[in-house]
Amino acid sequence: MSEQSTLTYARVNEDVIRMLDKPTVKWLALFIPTLGFVGFGLFCFIHQVYTGLGVAGYRHPVFWGVYITDFVFWVGIAHSGTLISAILFLFRANFRMSIYRIAEGMTVFAVLTAGLFPIIHLGRPWNFYWLFPYPNQRELWVNFKSPLLWDVFAVSTYLTVSSLFFFVGLIPDIAAVRDRVTEAPRKFVYSVLSLGWKGSNWEWLHYTRAYLFFAAFATPLVLSVHSVVSWDFAMSNLPGWHTTIFAPYFVAGAIFSGLGMVITLTVPIRKIFHLEEYITLDNYDGMAKLIILTSLIVGYAYGVEFFLAWYSGSPYEWGQFYYRATGEYAIFYWIMVVCNVVIPIPLWFKAVRRNIKVLFIISIFINIGMWFERFNIIVISLSQGFDPAAWGIYMPSWVEIGITVGSFAWFFMFFLIFIKTLPAVSIAEMKEILPVPNKGIKGDHAG
Amino acid sequence: MSQDKKGGLKRRDFLKIIGVAGGTAAVTGACSPPVEQIIPYVIPPEGIIPGLPNYYSSTCRECPAGCGIVVKNREGRAIKVEGNTKSPINSGATCARGQASLQGLYNPDRIKSPLLKNDDGRMKPLGWESIEKSLSEKIVKARSGDKSGNIVFLTNNISGTLSTLIEDWMGVLGGAHIQYETFAYEPLKEANKISFGIEKIPTYNIEKTDYLLSFGADFLETWLSPVEYTADFSAMHSVKDKSVGKFVYIDPRASLTGTNADQWVSIKPGTEGVLALGIANVIVNEGLSSNSAGGLQGLLSNYSPDKVSSITDVPKEVITQIAKEFAGADSSLAIGGGVASSGTNATQTLVAINILNYVAGNIGDTIDFGDTLSISDVNSFQDMSSLIDSMNSGDIDLILIHGVNPVFTLPKSMKFKEALEKVDTIVSFSSFMDETTELSDLVLPDNTFLESWGDYSPRTSVKGLTQPIMAPVFNTKSTGDVLLSISGQVEELNGRYVQTTYYDYLRDAWKDILPSGDFDKEWNKALEDGGFYEEPTKVAVSLSSAAMGISFPDAEFKGEGEYYFMAYPSYRYYDGRGANKPWLQELPEAITTGVWDSWVEVHPDTAKKLGIKLGDFVTIESPNGTIDTQAYVYEGIRPDTLAVMIGQGHTAYGRYAKDRGVNPLDLLPVTTDQLSGGFAWLTTKVNASRTGKHAQFVQTQYTTTQHDRVIAETVALSELQKGIHHEEHHEADFYPPREYHTYRWGMAIDLQKCVGCGSCVTACYAENNIAFVGKDMVAKRRDMAWIRIERYFEKTDDAKGFRTMYFPMLCQQCGNAPCEPVCPVFATYHNPEGLNGMVYNRCVGTRYCANNCTYKVRKFNWFTYKWPEPLDWQLNPDVTVRSKGVMEKCTFCVQRINYAKDLAKDDSRDVGDGEFKVACEQACPAEAIVFGNLEDHESNASKLSHDDRGYRALEFVNTQPAITYLKKVVRDKA
Repeated sequence: MSEQSTLTYARVNEDVIRMLDKPTVKWLALFIPTLGFVGFGLFCFIHQVYTGLGVAGYRHPVFWGVYITDFVFWVGIAHSGTLISAILFLFRANFRMSIYRIAEGMTVFAVLTAGLFPIIHLGRPWNFYWLFPYPNQRELWVNFKSPLLWDVFAVSTYLTVSSLFFFVGLIPDIAAVRDRVTEAPRKFVYSVLSLGWKGSNWEWLHYTRAYLFFAAFATPLVLSVHSVVSWDFAMSNLPGWHTTIFAPYFVAGAIFSGLGMVITLTVPIRKIFHLEEYITLDNYDGMAKLIILTSLIVGYAYGVEFFLAWYSGSPYEWGQFYYRATGEYAIFYWIMVVCNVVIPIPLWFKAVRRNIKVLFIISIFINIGMWFERFNIIVISLSQGFDPAAWGIYMPSWVEIGITVGSFAWFFMFFLIFIKTLPAVSIAEMKEILPVPNKGIKGDHAG
Repeated sequence: MSQDKKGGLKRRDFLKIIGVAGGTAAVTGACSPPVEQIIPYVIPPEGIIPGLPNYYSSTCRECPAGCGIVVKNREGRAIKVEGNTKSPINSGATCARGQASLQGLYNPDRIKSPLLKNDDGRMKPLGWESIEKSLSEKIVKARSGDKSGNIVFLTNNISGTLSTLIEDWMGVLGGAHIQYETFAYEPLKEANKISFGIEKIPTYNIEKTDYLLSFGADFLETWLSPVEYTADFSAMHSVKDKSVGKFVYIDPRASLTGTNADQWVSIKPGTEGVLALGIANVIVNEGLSSNSAGGLQGLLSNYSPDKVSSITDVPKEVITQIAKEFAGADSSLAIGGGVASSGTNATQTLVAINILNYVAGNIGDTIDFGDTLSISDVNSFQDMSSLIDSMNSGDIDLILIHGVNPVFTLPKSMKFKEALEKVDTIVSFSSFMDETTELSDLVLPDNTFLESWGDYSPRTSVKGLTQPIMAPVFNTKSTGDVLLSISGQVEELNGRYVQTTYYDYLRDAWKDILPSGDFDKEWNKALEDGGFYEEPTKVAVSLSSAAMGISFPDAEFKGEGEYYFMAYPSYRYYDGRGANKPWLQELPEAITTGVWDSWVEVHPDTAKKLGIKLGDFVTIESPNGTIDTQAYVYEGIRPDTLAVMIGQGHTAYGRYAKDRGVNPLDLLPVTTDQLSGGFAWLTTKVNASRTGKHAQFVQTQYTTTQHDRVIAETVALSELQKGIHHEEHHEADFYPPREYHTYRWGMAIDLQKCVGCGSCVTACYAENNIAFVGKDMVAKRRDMAWIRIERYFEKTDDAKGFRTMYFPMLCQQCGNAPCEPVCPVFATYHNPEGLNGMVYNRCVGTRYCANNCTYKVRKFNWFTYKWPEPLDWQLNPDVTVRSKGVMEKCTFCVQRINYAKDLAKDDSRDVGDGEFKVACEQACPAEAIVFGNLEDHESNASKLSHDDRGYRALEFVNTQPAITYLKKVVRDKA
């Protein structure tokens, strides 16, 4: 990537740390409305807790709706962060260097967002801690057979590991920031966070080891967490949910949507902070290729579900899938198919993969398509179960939409704070792929 | 049943004390769910052990059928109505209306104290003494000076002591007592007079027949005695020795009764009599008649199948088929006289039906004139017409109205309201501010029948007693007491009655009814039994020659419209009196599953012609008025007929009834049956057009078929008779089978018996504190019913093209329940007796259990639902009232199971079969539901679970339900 790069070690430090300068008007213009939406989401939630879950659009027989869709969506988003930072690290894929910090931040914030939804969707959210196996004098315990409990462990494990991984990777960079800033409070905060990093050889030796271990530790989580989330559905007996393909299907979908989200996030940052030299077209090319792969897997899953539903000869299975494609929700089903299978097809062409604008638009469609994929799986399956007398149509209410919008705002709020407080591009790792500074060459040029 | 040996007066006082003590507890404890206060009895009342219910027998007064009931009283409150097993009418069952009578008692819109209309036209609360004084003054005034002195006492059918008192009272005052019933079945009386010389409505022994032919008699809904006839029908129509009785329903519309028929014959309105004669003709011509049909040949020969077919629209083959089956059956019966299809020739139609019965030899066998209905004795429609005339001419100075709401139940075209307004003084004894009471000058609110002493004799053999289950909820007074009290203030009446209370009057009156001997003993026994029952004596009848002499004219229709307009009585609201009870409003109507509204039933072809679909608003226009209501497209109605149920469209009558739906009576002209003079209901032709407006048709089931799934299963009769090969194969299972000790609670539901009346649904609401949620919430599918009646229309090969299946769906208490493993906090779990227990306090509301429920029978509390006071007084103290955020479901009335187990434990024994019933089973008039212990192999439920027809719903999911359904029997094509 760096053949023609004019980047030097010093410029990397400067460029990245420049991003942490005082917030500009532009940043505030983004941040304040974001806070407003978070506030509205919070208002919706309080209204819901106070009045009852009925303010959402839920109804018999659709007992899960937009909140669980959001939950799965955000867990999915979280996935490609770890994929990029851990798996690609293990595979030594250099195209990850410039984007992995953003991807990792995205992971942590997405898990923070996702983790809210299982609580928001509870009928009695004030009792959410009953889902944890804590010792109590009433000898009440949790049911380890329930996939929802597996979720609790999966999500909390994932949050812990991804936060640690994120933080460990930040240590050398925070030290670099610490060395540059002068104002007392910032200096102090960065000093504490850098854990006294001096950049000694001994420290680097241990640091790289630790990072490798964390990468190895986080890698299986990419597969396991979303498999567990998929089992929320696959372990049930509902036609449309009860299927063995769900784990790989969900993992591929998660990576697919996560990559989409990484592109959606990095394209504006690259533009605003003039990071074209850091986040290069090669990086996007690499991600686009992964998108092609995961899009194919997802497309295959759609086809296989349909085929097996028909091939099973079960009126329940086939009824469900026929309904998905032709019933009241058909529009959402076809949005999903078009966004996730048809729209990524141009990525087979190199010119498209290297066209930032087109890539950005495609990534937005992927985000939309993947949100609807979860919506379709959850809502359409529930709305036509085994018993025709109990069929019903669900549509989200303004409260659910408010909380969903609030969740996006909540995610972007963290993200905006992140790019103003922590190095959004890894200073240390960028330097690994730059040519080593050489006075002689420089002198030659000068001379 | 507990009884009162100390005499009623004392107990009345004691009930008052309890009522006040309990009332205080309710007022302080009922506003918000989290605050719960327990107020102890400072002085414990005698005879009440907290936690133990008392049961009092009484008689239901929600309709004239007069079923015996037993009301459960807990800590001074009536909390549940159950059928009286000793009553010969309903033998332990109830209908939804009977269950909902509690919501009349506790209705928040009851009149809470006497009211007097001010000069400015506003009602003002008053004390009893002052209002009684005002009333006596009005009576005196009406009889003094230049006044004509005409007083009329208008009541419903109150055959019994109150009627005697009123007759006597009015006799002295020189006025008339008119007993008015909306559905008075006058043509039935008249036809019997013509046919047999007995002007009475008999009882029918439907259970003894094996072939039943109903010409529009909706005996499962409102006709004469629906609970009794549902039980009888269930008996004749259920599987006995591999055979079932056949039921054919002949009507322009397949009502709930019609959908339960083996064959529905769609007939042109008003031609039922012709068809009956046509069938009789075939019977006689084919030599199938059991008697000589003496003298009838001449009459019948005019009704050849060809001619009858062209008049009635019934195919010739169907006429001969029915004739052969009807005559060939061991015991057949033809009935008629349903309100909805009674036209101007209703009496002649019924005479024709009597002739048909006579020709087939049914008179005296399945029709019993020894036991006639008291509704035979109510005043005629003619009397109401002349009352209106006298009111118009100013002849009436004072009208006292009790138990009726004629402003609502008489067609608007009769202008009863306008006439009533001309009366000087209108006195209402109504418990509710209904349309008639709104016009009153004085309101002296009566106790509901659950608060008062009284009696009612629905038929010759049954004298039912009504006793107060609890002290009056509001400041109301029973009308009997008011009359006695006023008597002292009116000169002519002063000193006429020795009794000061109506209770004493009633007791004295019963001295003549009860067998002589120790009166106190007999009285207490009657109270315990809910009344006094006699064996009816048989009365032999024969067809009189008058029947042969009458002519059979065509029905006449008014209006130039394109469609016949049918206003049919509703089995939920009867004549409209049920509309103020939220349980009945929220009970899905069986055919449409619609709630909280009115609609018009339209045939698909007609709908196409009008360009309408489900939920579109239709304007129906007759010369007398116009109504706008939503369309329900239904195959079970003739293309040339539109049908709207009676009972909605109130303009008063409390928050639940007011401004809801439409009143089809607004369209009807004043037309009478030619011979009987009774009101003729089906005489209007109307025009219909779409309004262009559309709204969601609020119902509880949005599908009409099973979508190729087999939930409600059928078996062909021939297959049943051959013997069903019963496969009992066990699939290999990873887990060992569950073991149960002593008990595994289970149920068997016979789909051949279930008629879809929904009384189980309402009983479940009452027993389990299920919240009613209102139309807006039902529109969002948030009704809370734990048991629902699924309704499926299945295509069939025959001409009419569809069959209706009713399928009660409730928690199947699966042995391998999908809901249990998915709950993260063990809020739902498998109890050792096979129930899927539900711990409300532990539930956090993930709702995964409901998603994973194969049968979708779990209901979620989207809000904390409130019962407006005093409706919350009815709540069962044995069942938790759920608050927002928790799941709820049927647990086979676990509180009843535990109560029975506690009693058994006291005797160191196990609970025996049939020792107690669950609420749905207890209410079911058809005895379709049998609950019991599956571990006890001798129990009924256990035996039925191995029945040839037994199967489990969606068995392949391997949920191992505890409920066995017995397949509905379908007839093979003839």
